[in-house]
Amino acid sequence: MFLDLLKPKKDKRMWRSHTMRAEYDVVIIGGGLHGLSAAYFLARDYGVKNVAIIERRYMGYGGSGRNTAIVRSNQRSKENVPLYDEGMKLWPLLVKELDYNLMFFNCGNLNLAHSEAEVAGLKMNIATAQVMGVRSEFLTPEECKKMVPQLDISDRPKYPIMGAMFHPPGGTIRHDALVWALARSVDQMGAHIHQLTEVTGIRIENGKVTGVQTDRGFIRTSAVLTAAGGYSASVCALAGIDLPVSVLQIQAMVSEPLKPFLNHVVSSGRYHAYCHQSLKGEIVTGAHMDPWPTYTTNVTADYLKHQGETLIDYLPVLKNARFMRIWGGLADMTADMAPVISDSEIQGFYMDCGWGYFGFKSAPITGKYVAKWIAERKCPEILEPFKLDRFKKYILQKETGAVMYYTPWN
Amino acid sequence: MSFLIECPNCGPRNAYEFRFGGEVKERPDEQSVTAEEWADYIFFNKNVYGPQKEWWFHTRGCGCWFTITRDLRTNLSVAPEEEIDR
Repeated sequence: MFLDLLKPKKDKRMWRSHTMRAEYDVVIIGGGLHGLSAAYFLARDYGVKNVAIIERRYMGYGGSGRNTAIVRSNQRSKENVPLYDEGMKLWPLLVKELDYNLMFFNCGNLNLAHSEAEVAGLKMNIATAQVMGVRSEFLTPEECKKMVPQLDISDRPKYPIMGAMFHPPGGTIRHDALVWALARSVDQMGAHIHQLTEVTGIRIENGKVTGVQTDRGFIRTSAVLTAAGGYSASVCALAGIDLPVSVLQIQAMVSEPLKPFLNHVVSSGRYHAYCHQSLKGEIVTGAHMDPWPTYTTNVTADYLKHQGETLIDYLPVLKNARFMRIWGGLADMTADMAPVISDSEIQGFYMDCGWGYFGFKSAPITGKYVAKWIAERKCPEILEPFKLDRFKKYILQKETGAVMYYTPWN
Repeated sequence: MSFLIECPNCGPRNAYEFRFGGEVKERPDEQSVTAEEWADYIFFNKNVYGPQKEWWFHTRGCGCWFTITRDLRTNLSVAPEEEIDR
């Protein structure tokens, strides 16, 4: 008995590899959280199990494994808040359903304001939140200091803190665990995960999707969902669709583990620097966005310098922290900071992209509604505002001036 | 890594000195353009996975506008004839 324990365990994979079928009911392009979530809810709620998830690299290679694990619902516009809010309520349920510890840390988000204009902006966000029934409140610098004693609320920093929006429902989730848990579940429910498989073409006949060409063969299908994150533009181009996005690179880094001191996600749009302390004690920090389109995920010295200078200006306690890892990811930014969740003129071709740097926190809830859309062939009301044609109609969403002041130019 | 951009006046300089000015697109005729064509021009991009012809502005330098062809997969400039048309 004791010797049995010493024997190497039988290799138990989280998900299996399959021979590719000639036909699937739905083909999902992109093995990230949005694609996996759609597959999960297609199987769970609609019994659609003959689904293929095509991933060019490995599961969670893109934004799903490169984000900084923060979840929140403190957006500005009435279209965005309900979606994110419902998403926030999904986490505890998913932990149970997926039978996986996602390490949901409900620590709350503190968004700092450093000018009268930013205070006014945050108060608008708070007003929106309160109208929509989401918890968010305004804090004075002294109240911020009580919450995070290490904050420098004096006049010394370049941009002194003038207040903050505190959003208690937010927090962090272990992003890799979510990828693995969803992949395991969709595999158990019958969907096929095909890693290291590249989509090279989308067949369209008489205005309808009829199949997907991959480097491992042709798949017949009548429904395709593009959920390829930063690479969505290339996938949509195969169907002749241009996207209203710029693909920019965003970087993040992680410090050595420190004694626990930071119990909230602290972010500053003005400094372009946010951070939180992971449950392992590491300071996870982002995010400066390089202001030019690129598909590289290299990191830059400019980012390191920016991050060092800005972070220690409002959190001087981090002055001597040593950083261990740094990485870059892609963000497909739209002009109005809201995603493109849409059908198209091509029947059966769906898109779930344009998420920029907020695709992680929205993944499961979006997957739930996209699955409904594909299964019922009718756009759910909550997703109506995110259709692609809003750009042609100039009905842009008012998310731009929200919590983070990120545009391609800063 | 950051990368170098060849300014016609100043030669190769650090990319952070420049401001990206968008993909090179054909500007619609302002007299006859429809609202939809204009939206297409201002919001939509190709985001080609490969070499792209694009505008740059030397903000922290000589202040001139110019175009280069840059491979978005590597950030290296390539000769214009390698540009792929999609």
